[in-house]
Amino acid sequence: MKNLRIKLSIIAAVLLLASCNDYLDINENPNKPSEVPMSLLMANASYRTGDNIQSIGDITSYYVQYLASPNAFGSKDVQDATAFDETWQNLYRMMSDISDILKLADEQNSPHYKGTAQVLMAINLGMTIDIWGDLPYSEAFTGEYLKPIYDDDQSLYVVLTSLLDEAIANLSNGTSDLSPGSDDFIYGGDLAKWTKLAYSLKARYLLHAANSGDATPDDILAAIDKGILLNVDNGAIVYSDQGYDVYNPWAKVAIDQESAILDGWISEQLADAMNGTSYPVVDPRLPFMFSATDEGEYIGVPNGQGRGTGVDISGDRSVISRDTYYAANTAPILIITAAETRFIEAEAGLAAGNKQRAYDAYIAGIQAHMRMVGVDDADISTYVNNATVSVGADNITLDLIMKEKYVALFLSPETWNDARRFDYKYKNMTLPANLNPELNGNYIRRLIYPDSETSRNGANVPSVTLLDRIWWDEQ
Amino acid sequence: MKSILFHAPHSSLMIIMRLTWLNPELRRSRFACIVFLALTLIDIPASKSFAAGTKSLRLDSIQVTLELRDESLEFALKQIEKRTPYRFVYRNQEIKKVNGLTLESATRSLAQTLSLLLAHTPLTYREMNEMILIERTGSGPQSSVGPPLTESLPAFSITGVVRSANEPLPGVSVVVKGTQIGTMTDAQGKYSIDTENGIATLIFSFIGFKTIEIEVNQRNVVDVTMEPDVTQLDEVVVTSFGIEQAKQSIGFSAQEVNGASLIQMRQPSVVNALQGQVAGVQITSSGGAPGMSSRILVRGITSLDPNANNQPLFVVDGIPIDNSTYETASGATENTPRGLSNRAMDINPNDIESLTVLKGAAATALYGVRAANGAIVITTKKGTAGQLQVNATSTFGMDHINKYPHFQDEYGQGSNGLYNPDDIFPAWGAKIAVANLIDPEYRYYDNVKNAMQTGKTFDNHISVSGGNKIATFYTSVGNTDQQGVIPFSTWKRTVAKVSGSLNFNDKFTATVSMNYSNSGGNRVPHDRFMENLMYYPVTRDVRDYEDENGYQNYVGLSDNPLYTAKYSTYKDRVDRILGNILLSYKPVGWFSLNYRLGTDFYSDYRREIAPGPRSSTDEFPISATGYMEDTQINSRILNSNVFAEFKKGLGEDFTATLRLGQELFQEDRRSSVVTGQEFEIPQFFAFSNTKQLLYYNEMRQRRLIGAYGDLMLNYRDMLYLNVTGRNDWTSTLPKGNNSFFYPSYNLSFIFSEVVDLPSQISFGKVRASYGEVGKDTDPYLTSTVYTNSLGFPINGILGFSRDDVRGSNDLRPERTTTIDLGAELRFFENRLGVEFTWYKSNSRDQIFRVPVSEAAGYPTIVTNVGEIENKGIELILNANPIRTGDFRWDLMVNFTRNRNRVVDIAEGLDEFPISTQFGYSGSTVTMKLKEGDAYGNIYGTSYQRYYQGGAPENLRYLDHDLPLVIGANGFPVRNTQQLALGNAQPKWLGGIRNTLTYKGLSLSFLIDARYGVDQYDQFHNFLSAFGKLDYSENRNDVVVFDGVLADGTPNTKEVFLGQAVGPDGVDYGQGFYRVYFRTTSENFVKNASFVKLRNVGLSYSLPKTWLGKTPLKAVNISATVNNIILWTPWINFDPESFSGGAGGNATGFTGLTYPSTMSTLFTLNLTL
Repeated sequence: MKNLRIKLSIIAAVLLLASCNDYLDINENPNKPSEVPMSLLMANASYRTGDNIQSIGDITSYYVQYLASPNAFGSKDVQDATAFDETWQNLYRMMSDISDILKLADEQNSPHYKGTAQVLMAINLGMTIDIWGDLPYSEAFTGEYLKPIYDDDQSLYVVLTSLLDEAIANLSNGTSDLSPGSDDFIYGGDLAKWTKLAYSLKARYLLHAANSGDATPDDILAAIDKGILLNVDNGAIVYSDQGYDVYNPWAKVAIDQESAILDGWISEQLADAMNGTSYPVVDPRLPFMFSATDEGEYIGVPNGQGRGTGVDISGDRSVISRDTYYAANTAPILIITAAETRFIEAEAGLAAGNKQRAYDAYIAGIQAHMRMVGVDDADISTYVNNATVSVGADNITLDLIMKEKYVALFLSPETWNDARRFDYKYKNMTLPANLNPELNGNYIRRLIYPDSETSRNGANVPSVTLLDRIWWDEQ
Repeated sequence: MKSILFHAPHSSLMIIMRLTWLNPELRRSRFACIVFLALTLIDIPASKSFAAGTKSLRLDSIQVTLELRDESLEFALKQIEKRTPYRFVYRNQEIKKVNGLTLESATRSLAQTLSLLLAHTPLTYREMNEMILIERTGSGPQSSVGPPLTESLPAFSITGVVRSANEPLPGVSVVVKGTQIGTMTDAQGKYSIDTENGIATLIFSFIGFKTIEIEVNQRNVVDVTMEPDVTQLDEVVVTSFGIEQAKQSIGFSAQEVNGASLIQMRQPSVVNALQGQVAGVQITSSGGAPGMSSRILVRGITSLDPNANNQPLFVVDGIPIDNSTYETASGATENTPRGLSNRAMDINPNDIESLTVLKGAAATALYGVRAANGAIVITTKKGTAGQLQVNATSTFGMDHINKYPHFQDEYGQGSNGLYNPDDIFPAWGAKIAVANLIDPEYRYYDNVKNAMQTGKTFDNHISVSGGNKIATFYTSVGNTDQQGVIPFSTWKRTVAKVSGSLNFNDKFTATVSMNYSNSGGNRVPHDRFMENLMYYPVTRDVRDYEDENGYQNYVGLSDNPLYTAKYSTYKDRVDRILGNILLSYKPVGWFSLNYRLGTDFYSDYRREIAPGPRSSTDEFPISATGYMEDTQINSRILNSNVFAEFKKGLGEDFTATLRLGQELFQEDRRSSVVTGQEFEIPQFFAFSNTKQLLYYNEMRQRRLIGAYGDLMLNYRDMLYLNVTGRNDWTSTLPKGNNSFFYPSYNLSFIFSEVVDLPSQISFGKVRASYGEVGKDTDPYLTSTVYTNSLGFPINGILGFSRDDVRGSNDLRPERTTTIDLGAELRFFENRLGVEFTWYKSNSRDQIFRVPVSEAAGYPTIVTNVGEIENKGIELILNANPIRTGDFRWDLMVNFTRNRNRVVDIAEGLDEFPISTQFGYSGSTVTMKLKEGDAYGNIYGTSYQRYYQGGAPENLRYLDHDLPLVIGANGFPVRNTQQLALGNAQPKWLGGIRNTLTYKGLSLSFLIDARYGVDQYDQFHNFLSAFGKLDYSENRNDVVVFDGVLADGTPNTKEVFLGQAVGPDGVDYGQGFYRVYFRTTSENFVKNASFVKLRNVGLSYSLPKTWLGKTPLKAVNISATVNNIILWTPWINFDPESFSGGAGGNATGFTGLTYPSTMSTLFTLNLTL
């Protein structure tokens, strides 16, 4: 009996020892850190901003008829009401990460990080507003508000320009404890170039705002002067050849097409704008932009109609290709280029009544784009000197500027903004076959909000149709 | 029926052995101050040969030390029962009269002791079998007991022999019905009884056997065969920690399934083997692939979190084991589901002795957090003392798909009704019969059937067991080898098991058990397979899938399914050891100390290979780049459980049992995924040959300490009160909130012991319980972290971004409370038994990963919210309607109804999605939680309905009965607002098992039904988009849709259903099926109820006489057919399969999963 009592007390003691707190103190995540340095967030944000641009471009390129589905009734071709949840998700995750960089940059007295992060925020936020309009912003990103309210899109444009103004100031701040370097996949830490990027972006947003009278052509032209005027300054994400997951996302589209997952087919609209059909000149950029058919021709597919019978899934139509400037594994994703800046200048110049400036910028825009994709100088001058191109300052028109900008911004989400401002008046552009009947014979004006918002934040989501316009597009 | 003359304890050897372990403590005893009693047992012969009638030296050789002071004879006999293998058989009224016995303390032989005790009584004793019969002097088997009621002389004498399994049965009470005339059978099982005339009914009764009534009909010889009654009062249920408890004593709901029922269906998976057998349990197989997971739910969903584990805890021999299903890894590539196994598949059902399902919080309160969803308690086979037993079983089976959709065979490849052998559309083309005249190759192929093969199963199992009084052992090896109906899908399992137990002396027992398994196979990409099969043109032969160089013959829109199944491989191999040690020390009768240590260790290795191009010209490879992925998961669970047990009589009427214990639980899981992309050398699959390597690894650790107490009070074996309490400390909740206590109370009252009931009622019990269980959560949800971004490091630079989940440092444990009321009644000498349960369970403070607006900053936040309520009834009926001579019919019915309701979601949220499944162009469906709704509502688009006076605001449910609104174009108007179209939780489930036996022949069939369940049929959505089902043969019809126009007037407009320009000259574009039908979710959320003939089994045991000279003890041959659909309104493959794999909670989605099969199996079983 006594023996037993001793045994029992030993057991009791063991039990007490075992329940000491250290045994349970194992819930710190060994796999993932709860704090990371800014540079790791910057690396991801700068690289994957390119994915966001492509992800939107992969939608809008069908609306502006750069691309067309090889099968009839493609939902983007016919401008269906599709909820692009993944695109929204990637944009908001990116902006949430950027908001962390902004916070850390303040805490760590690093205005250079803050400035670059503000530019990145302006890129992502700007694209998001331009496709969806009203958005959560003032209550977004913090995790505090589970159902953030939607801010008015016009007021968000004020946020955009002030983000860029602050960025410009921060980038030129002399004292920054930390500055971006190789973690910056856009400029490798070149702050002067970031400043130019900020000015070019500002010009782009002011151009949109000008549509509604919120900015003047002079505001735009003032920004242009400090913007990206040479290709060497182009805002672009430089992709790595390290492996499939880090390839340029258009290269992945081209790879799909190569392995019979049909994707990246060129629209008849774009092919015809360049192959001499819509305009009496064959554009020397064709082989640098997409593939020729097996017969060496550049033929597109009519949107909504499909490739038709007897057309093989490869070799019979033009597709984007890894052999071109845009879809190589390591091709850049372009944020904003010298060419675009020039075309903004042209448009603003025209609006300001300065036709010479408009014309010069128009020509410079064409040349910049041609040089960028690799057209040789002889071909550039042949094209530029074609009478239908070199019309002279007096004959410069918005149509011409938009015609050239359309080609020069191949695959860019900005073209859909242009198309809506320009009311889709590109030459020969027609509504796709089998257009979504909800549109009543009109072109799409915006995206509907994603399903995730409708189901998780339904009370705040504005009720919209595809024909409702973003503020700068309102008539 | 307390009118039985004898209170005769048990005869069956097994029951006696159980009772010697349990009963002494349950019997009444007095305090030691009144009686000091010591019984010493010495010199029990090791061999068990208590042959009947040998009034051997045994009673003389067993020494008993007994001291009595003024005690009753009844008490003295009970004390002797406690310490000897003997049981006494006596008539109560005779014994009760003998009191005031005093015996000086001394050690005497048992014979001597009995002689002394009975010295001054009219009683004597006699040894029979393992019993000692106490009877009146002079009364014997030859004479009737007690005086006859009437004065008249007996006129009719009856004799006979009572047997059980051909052995004579002594001690059986034989009574003339309606009189007090009775006798008992002697050692040879003989009896003789006199009646007034030959018109009488004899009642034969014996505890442990089913009572029999037989009409004499003036026969002089009435021989009887009695059958053991396994559903007797002494039925034992294995509850928490492998503790055996008499079923009558438990106040909660538990249901036992014996090993024989489990192997009836010859299912390799123990979960599948439970189909239709247990009330309150829902089993859903994720598909028909070999080794594919199945999901089990006890009383519905309790945790709302889409990723929460809602399945019960699996406990094998007292140790919890892992039953997770880890679908394809989410490493670098997005993997298609492969149908992996749930880990309970590593147990071979052939090794299971019995399985108990514990339902509700009270039943599982002692297991703590991990058993909040119930527990499946498995007891594996053990050796028994006696001769060596060898058992060999061999099974061969064939599988076929049990149900196909009805395909159309009129129209071939093409679109707009035109012939086009290059079109992407597999069946919107020309009429085959017409186009065939031009192109003889254009003909119909039944590709879905042609692509499949006959599945095969080989299963072999051999076990050897035996032992003696000191040690027993059981050892077995089993091998299962399966090939699926989709070519190239395989699964194999080998399980080896050893267990043994050792009695060092009467005080110390050690039991050890070890289970090693190796399993795995090639898991075909069944989702892609079914999808590609669906895209495949009906006028091309799918079997023509590769050329002589191994290049794919690519046709239409997508990869050839067979080519993908062959070359896109995913092989897994799991090695697992389940080990278990139980040490039990019982120094004195009222106290024992037990220690259990268990481990569950496995390594799960998988390799996926997707070949890239073989060469770069004119080829359609499965993957543009090619990749391979290795996944390695190591899991280790350690469980240590120590508990002490005290049993004590309290006064005359009470017995108390107290159990105090402590448990430690530790789980370590490490997984790593390596992905290599782009092979440089084609067809050489090694990581060294890939351009990019991505690596991902994860460690998870979880620990838990529990302390528990369990008090059971037993009042006269008829009223039981059980109170338990447990406190858990968990590593996964924040400090301060990580300790939590929860109690349970169970009351069980056997009213048939007290109340005089009509004689038809043989047993009656009511029970009530209330229990609480706390539940913790997954590791690492208390902090918010950043995660490495896919593809990084790039050029040596790392990239991170916010994790998907915002953690919380304020989490509290979840709480589930259950009220459980039940009653159990047995009628007609236990030939009919009914068990009824009503329960209500509320789960509060649920820990959710709540999906919130992406704009909030995190797509998911972790928080305590929500409450879900489950209410239901369970009904079990056992009957034995026919039992005549060699023929008997047994019937088991179970019925379950569960209703649940989302009482509350998260603060600031009134709904959120659990899961979404794709459908074409707006027909995507979502399972959403909404306050007030039932769990499992499926939301999607519908055809607009006509409401007189306008549709109500905030419409939530689709009203199928209202007329459709037809648009001006003559087609139904789509309503894109998401409405609840159906619910994925069945309204009720039921099963009926019938067993008919005639001598060695046995036929059994199990019918199993699931009613009132809706599911989204993704495969149907796809098939409709591609014009493959038979109803689309009306594609060239002109119809008027039944419905009303917006103004309520009937629609009269004729429209063409087909594509392009109709007979009326209007362009109908893609046609009705693609424009309207496939885009409306309503068309694919359908009733998935079914009635299945789950199992038909025919088995035959060869008569023993045939085996006479062979070494065989028994030979049994059987045939089994499983899973025959009898009825379902579902138009696609078997609706039982869902596509998610057993891990998730989104059971409302079916679709491109591996089709279910019907299996036919033949088994030979030999016992040596």
